[in-house]
Amino acid sequence: MSRPDPVLLEIVSAALVSVAEEMSVTVWRTSRSTTVRELLDYSTAVFDADGRNVAQAARMPVHLNSMELCLSHVIAHHIPLEDWRDGDVIVTNDPYCGGQHLPDFIAFKPVFRDGRRIAITCVLIHHVDVGGGAAGGYTASAVEVFQEGLRLPPVRIVKDGAMQEDLFATILQNVREPETFRGDFLSQIAALDVGARAMLRLADRYGVETLEEIGAALLDHAEHEMRAAIAALPDGTWSAEDFTDAEQPGGEPLRIAVTLTVAGEEIAIDFTGTAPQARGPINATMATTTSAVYYAVIAACGVTATVNAGCYRPIRVSAPEGTLVNASFPAPVAMRMLPGHKTATAVLKAFAQVIPERIPASYYGTTFNHAVNIRHADGRRQVYFDAELGGWGAHPEKDGPNGLAAGFHNGQNTPVEMIEALFPLRFVRYGLASGSGGAGKMRGGLGIVREWEFLAEAGLLNSAFDVFDTRPYGLDGGAEGAGGSLSVTRDGETVQLAAKTVGHPLKAGDVVRMQTPGGGGHGDPAARAPEAVAEDRADGYV
Amino acid sequence: MTSPRITIAVDIGGTFTDLEFRDAVSGRSHSLKSPTTPDNPARGLTDAIEQAGARFGFGNDDIALILHGTTIATNAVLTRDLPAGALITNEGFEDVLEIGRHARGDIYALKGPERSVLIPRRRRFGAPGRIGAGGEEVCAIDPVALDAVIDRVAGSGVAATAICLLNAFANPAHEIAIRERLLARCPDMAVSCSHEVSPEIREFERTATTVLNALLVPVIARYVDALRLRLAEAGIGAPLYLIQSNGGAIGLEAAVKAPVKLLLSGPSGGVLAAQKLARRLGTPDVVGVDMGGTSYDVAVVSGGVRSVVTQGEIDGLPVRVPMVEMHTIGAGGGSIAFVDPSGRLQVGPRSAGAVPGPVCYGRGGTEPTVTDVNLILGRLDAATFLGGRFALDLDGARQALRDRIEQPLALDADHAASGILAVVNAKLAASIKFSLFAKGLDPRDFALMSFGGAGGLHAVEVAEELGITRVIFPRDPSTFSAHGILFSDIRHDLSRTEILPLLPESADALAAMAAELGAQGTALLDADGMAADRRRLILTADLRYAGQAFELTIPLPEGQITPETLAEMRRRFEEEHRQRFSFDDPEEAAELVTLRLTAVGVLGDGGDAAPDYAPSETAGTKTRQVHVNGAWNETPVHRQLALPPGAEIAGPAIIEQEYTTMLLPAGWVLTMTPSGDMTARKET
Repeated sequence: MSRPDPVLLEIVSAALVSVAEEMSVTVWRTSRSTTVRELLDYSTAVFDADGRNVAQAARMPVHLNSMELCLSHVIAHHIPLEDWRDGDVIVTNDPYCGGQHLPDFIAFKPVFRDGRRIAITCVLIHHVDVGGGAAGGYTASAVEVFQEGLRLPPVRIVKDGAMQEDLFATILQNVREPETFRGDFLSQIAALDVGARAMLRLADRYGVETLEEIGAALLDHAEHEMRAAIAALPDGTWSAEDFTDAEQPGGEPLRIAVTLTVAGEEIAIDFTGTAPQARGPINATMATTTSAVYYAVIAACGVTATVNAGCYRPIRVSAPEGTLVNASFPAPVAMRMLPGHKTATAVLKAFAQVIPERIPASYYGTTFNHAVNIRHADGRRQVYFDAELGGWGAHPEKDGPNGLAAGFHNGQNTPVEMIEALFPLRFVRYGLASGSGGAGKMRGGLGIVREWEFLAEAGLLNSAFDVFDTRPYGLDGGAEGAGGSLSVTRDGETVQLAAKTVGHPLKAGDVVRMQTPGGGGHGDPAARAPEAVAEDRADGYV
Repeated sequence: MTSPRITIAVDIGGTFTDLEFRDAVSGRSHSLKSPTTPDNPARGLTDAIEQAGARFGFGNDDIALILHGTTIATNAVLTRDLPAGALITNEGFEDVLEIGRHARGDIYALKGPERSVLIPRRRRFGAPGRIGAGGEEVCAIDPVALDAVIDRVAGSGVAATAICLLNAFANPAHEIAIRERLLARCPDMAVSCSHEVSPEIREFERTATTVLNALLVPVIARYVDALRLRLAEAGIGAPLYLIQSNGGAIGLEAAVKAPVKLLLSGPSGGVLAAQKLARRLGTPDVVGVDMGGTSYDVAVVSGGVRSVVTQGEIDGLPVRVPMVEMHTIGAGGGSIAFVDPSGRLQVGPRSAGAVPGPVCYGRGGTEPTVTDVNLILGRLDAATFLGGRFALDLDGARQALRDRIEQPLALDADHAASGILAVVNAKLAASIKFSLFAKGLDPRDFALMSFGGAGGLHAVEVAEELGITRVIFPRDPSTFSAHGILFSDIRHDLSRTEILPLLPESADALAAMAAELGAQGTALLDADGMAADRRRLILTADLRYAGQAFELTIPLPEGQITPETLAEMRRRFEEEHRQRFSFDDPEEAAELVTLRLTAVGVLGDGGDAAPDYAPSETAGTKTRQVHVNGAWNETPVHRQLALPPGAEIAGPAIIEQEYTTMLLPAGWVLTMTPSGDMTARKET
């Protein structure tokens, strides 16, 4: 492994992370949509000249650990690196070109010094809409990716520093909220520029060769720690499975089967035995699956180093084609977070057999993305997009936190007052779902209840939910967490809706209620400390 | 009898009570340090005043004004020494306080983070009634249902209650109605309402701030009572004001109602002093850094104005009140250097703290710290540390460096030690760069001002890293905060949220909001007894492009609000947006989110108080071996208080005083100014 001066290594490493952070701040402060500005659904990273991820701004594991896969796909199959020019920005959202699902636009900018490519900056943003059959890109009825919206192969959206206005106009023409999309997209480009300028300053200061050498060393160090952590695990093979709900309510849950093999310093994860790909959009491509595996393995191994592409080197991921976790073109994939989360929880469940003292029960198990296409009485249209999450699984030594981002994703909720100020919704309830945490010596965290009244003339409700029929697993005798639900009450009558609801019509006065799952419990409930039981009762958690 | 001429500033910290006073007649100021009296800090305050009076010849009748910085509120929060409280909110929203904003810090942790919820679910009560987003009453309060809620609050046995209802910033009627019922039932209850504590949009931040305020009311009320009693016993009749997080002063009555405004009282004094000294030295752009044992605080003074933010955080709890902007990282003299499992050298944020402290303190520390490394490299002197009262174990520090760093990384001692300093200096520099970057500012346009015990050894090297060519060392960094407090004015920050399009048509609505805030500000200054010629009302607005996450605070043009005012606000907003984010968008709609009014009551006479400086020690320059600029050199060591005004010292050199040591590398020249402050310049 390359060994530059350990002091310079730290100094430059910190500088690279701060480049990613500066890009992140730029996106946060300048973007327009609620998705980005309050939900924080974006990520930034820096790659070396050959496209290896050397620094990330800690934000969303699901994004960060897939950016390199996307870039290598773009380079290998679409635009070879030698064709990247100074002043280009290359962007794609295509899950079959290394992306995950259509709303995520991944943009790359090569950075050149004296005609030589020295780095690539990257910004991924989840955009508010991408056309297709439903607002927000979650077309539950889609059976092909073509129905999910605009699909952009890797293209140069900026050439020679100039925005390709024809192409940009074409994109804007195909999305529901062109002004918001445009604002977020310009913020994405601005952040790439901020990152590129910062990389040039580093090149001036330390020299291009030193930067290269240090980039390589950073990857080596992360790989070294990862290998040491894996070597500390016992060798062997373990199997586990977790499930997503069937496409239709009440159907047979779909299996995600994991075989974990630890051999010396390396780990192999294989998904043979996983359910065939679904007809609807609850499939994942390898970018999502690999990213979920990286997240779970890094978390389980307790790696403390700066996470970068070096951590991935000792991990092998394989999955049969045409399965839920490695869908074949043109399968729809909008709800790839469903299998993605369950891929992560299945891998963690396998690790629970290897290192039971470090692995918690399952968290809520999916991102509760939902959207409403709104039509006002004056004909004005709006899209409300939001996401909710639930309770953590209990850890062997600790209760799971209530209502907090866990696992494969991360994010922030939107304040009720901000939603009410901007959209025709009035909240009735936003709180913890009592009794939803799995019982155990350590209790699972509580899920969340959101309930709001629709105030506009008409709307169409779309949801990409899961874990209505399945449950977050408990461990070591702990109980499962409660499942989720979605309902609409009109004129005193309540109708239960499917987890994957597409275009359910809303009118003024309808009340929509959603509940997210609690986390699984850990250990025998009878062994729970009496004081903890009393506290839970006093606070109405159980 | 002459009129009172003495203004006193007292800053009470954990160990010392610092006092500085200014005599309006002579224009001179003096300072002293005395021990803090933790059982009753008020006693330490009057003791210090009596000491100063005896030493410098003034009596109680000469005192015009006392300004007081206190960490009482901060410590109560940090140690969670807060009374049990209750929260009344809308039915169905009792858990907002606990749910927070969801996002987690360590994304790979599998064990849940600690979350601090100040009021447990059993004491969070849902009240009937609802105000809509536009301030309209959607559902009236059912008095019978409300009384049932009040019964439960009364039965919970708490002394403090926070009331925070949805959209109360748009219409406070329900909060007011509930408070009335509650006080009718429980007249002694300390009640805080969100429309008074933080009348701005975003319910979680407003709730959290209101809860913190409610729980602090009994704490600060008790302290204010003790202060009043102690002042009366000591025969001191001068008015006393407390220092708020925004750097302004607040009267005792008002402070008891809004104690959350005191949470960052301590650090704001240092920033006030930095601002004052920057003006005095004719350097309007200064980044002030305070390096102590465990943390490094960065504050920005740009164009002579300190940067203020509308929200901050204390110990993981959001606090939405205006405060001096401070960016803090975990890097200080106690930061530990170690080799991580991947074989990389790390410094901090883990700190040896006060116990066990650095290895060289000989109190059981085994991991080398930044202070140990400064000792090993001769930058600190074992013989003169803290006036020589405290023996340092150099051999122990060397051994720890050898075992923990040199051997695992195969480095020699000099390389390991100077490498640790280079890494920590890079971190300090990055935190400064980040603070300025977020505002679109360039470090090279700034001077670095260093205060705090550990900063002097790092300041010039950090400046060098950033391309900063001027470093300022205040004369007495250890009482710098008290010096800043001396120049505080009364400052009330008021705000009102209403999302308005930033268009000329909004002029009437904006003028109405401004008039309402103006009336509130005037009433507060009336209550302070401020004369008309000592008042200033400053309007600013939080503006953004429609739907953006983050607002920019822009000053309003002076004079009456007309359609042209809004056009000018738009111009200023776009200019600021371009400066910060490198783009603007003339086609995009912009909106106002919050209008802010700062009501200032000028306290002092506007005069300065450059301390009178004359050398108080005799020159006796020594030399010692110091590792600087990459090599060991026999380096001159100066006593700061022996340097006459106008003295110039070329680096490399060490300058020592009782509480801190400064390092001047080669290529820099340090000048002693007439006020006793020192400036270092990079030679060109």
